[in-house]
Amino acid sequence: MMRVWRWILAILIGAWLPIVFIAWWWNASAESTNPYFPPLSVIWEQFKVNWIFELVPVHVVPSIRNLLVGFLIAAVIAIPAGTLIGASRSGTRYVEPVVDFIRSIPPVALVPIFILLLGLDAQMRITSIAFSASFPILLATIEGVRSTNLVVLDTAKSFRLSRSAILWRVRLPGAMPTVFAGLQVGFQIAFVVTIASEVLGSGFGLGAFTLIATDSFLIVDAWTGVILLGILGYLLNLVFDLVERISLRWYYGQKKLS
Amino acid sequence: MTTPAISIRDVTMDYPTPDGVNHVLDGVSYDVAEGHFVSIVGPSGVGKTTLLRLLTGLATPTGGEIQVRGQRLTSSPEGLAVVLQDYTRSLMPWLTVEKNIALPLRNAKLSRTATRERVEESLAEVGLTGTGRSYPWQLSGGMQQRVSIARAIAVRPSILVMDEPFASVDAQTRFDLEDLVLKVRDDFGITTLMVTHDIDEAVYLSDEIVVLYGKPAVVRDIVKIDIPFPRSQMTTRNDHRFADLRTHVYGMVRGLE
Repeated sequence: MMRVWRWILAILIGAWLPIVFIAWWWNASAESTNPYFPPLSVIWEQFKVNWIFELVPVHVVPSIRNLLVGFLIAAVIAIPAGTLIGASRSGTRYVEPVVDFIRSIPPVALVPIFILLLGLDAQMRITSIAFSASFPILLATIEGVRSTNLVVLDTAKSFRLSRSAILWRVRLPGAMPTVFAGLQVGFQIAFVVTIASEVLGSGFGLGAFTLIATDSFLIVDAWTGVILLGILGYLLNLVFDLVERISLRWYYGQKKLS
Repeated sequence: MTTPAISIRDVTMDYPTPDGVNHVLDGVSYDVAEGHFVSIVGPSGVGKTTLLRLLTGLATPTGGEIQVRGQRLTSSPEGLAVVLQDYTRSLMPWLTVEKNIALPLRNAKLSRTATRERVEESLAEVGLTGTGRSYPWQLSGGMQQRVSIARAIAVRPSILVMDEPFASVDAQTRFDLEDLVLKVRDDFGITTLMVTHDIDEAVYLSDEIVVLYGKPAVVRDIVKIDIPFPRSQMTTRNDHRFADLRTHVYGMVRGLE
């Protein structure tokens, strides 16, 4: 019972600022005649028409699908690659400068290049997302695997575990807290690139919707798109945190005790 | 004469450092007889842990050689298990206790049921039946070190090597673990080598104590502990012989004799 109350209290503490902000926006915009800042009540009515759930299959589903597929491809490639590079003494030195260079280019700036190379279909968007998201994951994995604790390594060697068992069953699992830090950054980048990749040459997706609405002076629609983007980003992060908490139960449990 | 379990032959170990070569061990020789419990003692920094790393094949001596049952050591040998001081690191925190114990069994290629049985037996041997599903960090320090010992004996080693195994636990737990190690040695007939800085512990547990001393370190003395087994925390530690031997070893380690 106490726990439930504490939980509710925690939500209220976190929610007071958004509530105050929404209330202020609602009141301040109520009499607005400025076409760029329509009343929040009007936006809300349009929001319900658009997103509960009329346009969700057309604009939300493709965005989320591209995001998840791109992000998963990035993780599936970058984690094993990072593990192999991090475990090799010279590998890191050869690869890191290149990775650092490519990573320094703002991911969104690469979208036009991908359009030139791959055209304007979903494959291009997924490739852009996967490419951009893979670098933070790769670097975090390299770092995590490279800094395997020496006692852990000695122990594994003294068991005469094979090189591959040491790599995949000892070094990589031990590096997972660091890997997840990279996944988190990669996921945020994936979200940004998902939207940015839709801004050019697409009729579907939330990025496309919002841009087309703006260009067509459908300002209220554009606002609903922006608000939905915020909500989606927030919810996706919550899901990500949940997955991390579950996957790294051992790590958080240990941290809580020490 | 039978082949010793471990034969340390004129082993020298030098480490290059920025300030020149660090000579750690200089011509250390010693034979560990099959089934014996041998402790290596010496002042801190003398190279005890270096010697242990050489014995487990984690490092290679710069001179001389180490043989396990007549075979020259080149990597971690089969049938040798290790227990390290730092149980918080040597146990994998992402694996449950039973999976930690099962990890070194991967090489044994046992069936799933055989592996589970082996894990259960090992846990029972160290008095931890029923904790298999816990994570190591949920257990006390003494219990974690018991898990390390269970993991070591799960592979049914013929040689057990321990590095300051009881240094990080409280005194009461330490006595319990000491007796546990003696029981394990009896139950499995394991040749046991232990590095320790605790002279009382070395005398209590060992058949023989090797005293390292000097820089670079040499074997200063080999002390036979002629106190009969079984030993007990209550009586052995009050034995005159125990007091004499600990005084003698203490003097050696301190460079007083």
